[in-house]
Amino acid sequence: MATPATRRAPDELAHPLVETRGLLKTYNLGGETIHAVDGVSLKIARGEYVAIMGASGSGKSTFMNMIGCLDVPTAGQVLIDGTPTESMSSDALASLRNAKIGFVFQQFNLLARTSSVDNVAVPLIYAGIGTAERRERATAKLIDMGLGERLLNTPAKLSGGQQQRVAIARALVTEPLMLLADEPTGALDTKTSAEIMMIFEQLNAQGITVIVVTHEDEIADHAKRRIEFRDGKVIEDRLVENRNIATAHATEIA
Amino acid sequence: MSELEDNSSKGARFLSSWGVNISIALTALRTNLMRSILTMLGVLIGVFAVTLAVAVGNGASDAVTETINRFGSNMAILVPAPDDEEGGPPRRSNIRGRLTTRDLAAIENEVPNIRALAPQLRQQLDLVVAGGNSSTQAVGTTPGYGQVTSQLADRGRYISTADVRSSARVIVLGRTVAQDLFGEFDPVGETVRVDNVPFTVIGVLEEKGSTLGDDQDDTMIMPISTMRQRFVGDTLPGPDDLQLAFVAFREDASLTQGKEDIVNVLKDRYRVKPGEVTPFTVRTTEEFVEQSNFVTGILQAVLVSIASISLLVGGIGIMNIMLVSVTERTREIGLRMALGARRSDIRNQFLVEAAVLCVFGGAVGLVLAWLAGAALTAYAEFPVPVGLGVALSAIAFSAFLGLVFGGYPAVRASRLSPIEALRTE
Repeated sequence: MATPATRRAPDELAHPLVETRGLLKTYNLGGETIHAVDGVSLKIARGEYVAIMGASGSGKSTFMNMIGCLDVPTAGQVLIDGTPTESMSSDALASLRNAKIGFVFQQFNLLARTSSVDNVAVPLIYAGIGTAERRERATAKLIDMGLGERLLNTPAKLSGGQQQRVAIARALVTEPLMLLADEPTGALDTKTSAEIMMIFEQLNAQGITVIVVTHEDEIADHAKRRIEFRDGKVIEDRLVENRNIATAHATEIA
Repeated sequence: MSELEDNSSKGARFLSSWGVNISIALTALRTNLMRSILTMLGVLIGVFAVTLAVAVGNGASDAVTETINRFGSNMAILVPAPDDEEGGPPRRSNIRGRLTTRDLAAIENEVPNIRALAPQLRQQLDLVVAGGNSSTQAVGTTPGYGQVTSQLADRGRYISTADVRSSARVIVLGRTVAQDLFGEFDPVGETVRVDNVPFTVIGVLEEKGSTLGDDQDDTMIMPISTMRQRFVGDTLPGPDDLQLAFVAFREDASLTQGKEDIVNVLKDRYRVKPGEVTPFTVRTTEEFVEQSNFVTGILQAVLVSIASISLLVGGIGIMNIMLVSVTERTREIGLRMALGARRSDIRNQFLVEAAVLCVFGGAVGLVLAWLAGAALTAYAEFPVPVGLGVALSAIAFSAFLGLVFGGYPAVRASRLSPIEALRTE
């Protein structure tokens, strides 16, 4: 089922959730300056579902790390929800990540020997939430992810797909505005990947902004908008025609 | 209202984050159990050594004080030895020491607040009975000695003024000597040959026990006149010279004042001008206690210094293992930062881990030191008290050690860049 490409309303981008202005990141490798991200300016509105594409070394991950406030640009600006981040202290950035951004990683990055509930509750520790409420909210998110039976399992007792769903629950537990996923299906098989993409689809439908970094066209085709990087620059930024709707796809597989 | 809420939520955050940090620390330490135990061992040995060193020092000090006080407290001891009152004998002096029975009589007449006083002549003497023999430090004195030392006869009687006047050949045996010569048999009325002179046993002294291997019941009392005539007379400079004298003051009287009064009486008698060396020395039990505390204090300082080295080594072990732990968990640190951990959260997490290691090690070290102290006290006749103060300081110091040696690794962890840390394999 294809969704026709539509123009976004102008007021949506007047108050973008993420905005970059002349974003630059350079590294010095053996005397040679590498432009990992080379002057990127773009806006992502609330409620978008964006795929950031590109080959390895294209700068897509570096770009994502900067809009996720994990990495500091060499030059240029990142504005989250209208707030410039370049002059923020490391503590303020930590609070910003905690409150507004949920991260999903390729390798799940769950704490070993720690139950699902405790893994999901980690961001709430740093939000200053008390033990009982942490447990309650983490449990609720895990149930949302269909892991109500796996609350006390450690990552070693979970499949890859289940681990990634724990990671998504963790990303969502502080009710962030956006989800940043870096190759979220890179370590998963096709069927499990489809499950994960279906979850993203549902979250986006609930209003959460989803930004997925991937090099796979199949994954990118789930998104509504596709931004392609090459050599640190955006070479393509377009709405996706013929969207691959994960819900339908997953149902077919099931 | 909102401010109050804000404060209470900050407080809750503070408490809950420490609770979380402790549970994170315990998980991390359990994960590398062997390593954690070995690291704790370093702190354990350090705390054990320092605690025991402090306890041995305190024990020595207590024991000496107790020995002095058991003999008699609030007392001045007079010796016929020259003294410049600056502590210790004068370097150059041709003054001969003097102390006589008449000096003591003058003190008794002129110095107030005296509870009891007694002269002393002493000599190691051999005792022989039909069933056995013994050798002991014999004390020639007057009845006042019983009050001075608070040790009277609990079988038979003590020496009397009449015994002294008549130079009677009577002795009062200490419990140990009585045991040596007569076993369980009552010695009162029996004859003992003292250096071949027959004496009658008139009593047995109350038991006083021993401290630091010094048996206060290994003694024997006879009239001072008898001692002088039969045993030590020809070794003394004059017919009424003494080797030692004791002046005990009433409990409520000032010992410092008492000593000053005694010195003044004697200075007057020997016509000592101000600033001159006196032919006698007066020391108080307080001074002996102070002096011995000074000596045991030095002993303790030396022991604690040596023991502290092992504690320092334990601390370095903590630092080493914390650096390893931070390196191993760099990725975890990056993840926590991505999820919203601030630098202080990461720093506290590792500080708590180091402190938990130290406090655990310290607590076990303390318990072992307490056991060793109790064993030494019980079996070595040497009190080694590990008191509450020592225990609390040991635990507090262990935690402090964790903060000091865990501080650098923890701060290093907190300074990591989130993305660099996350990228670490």
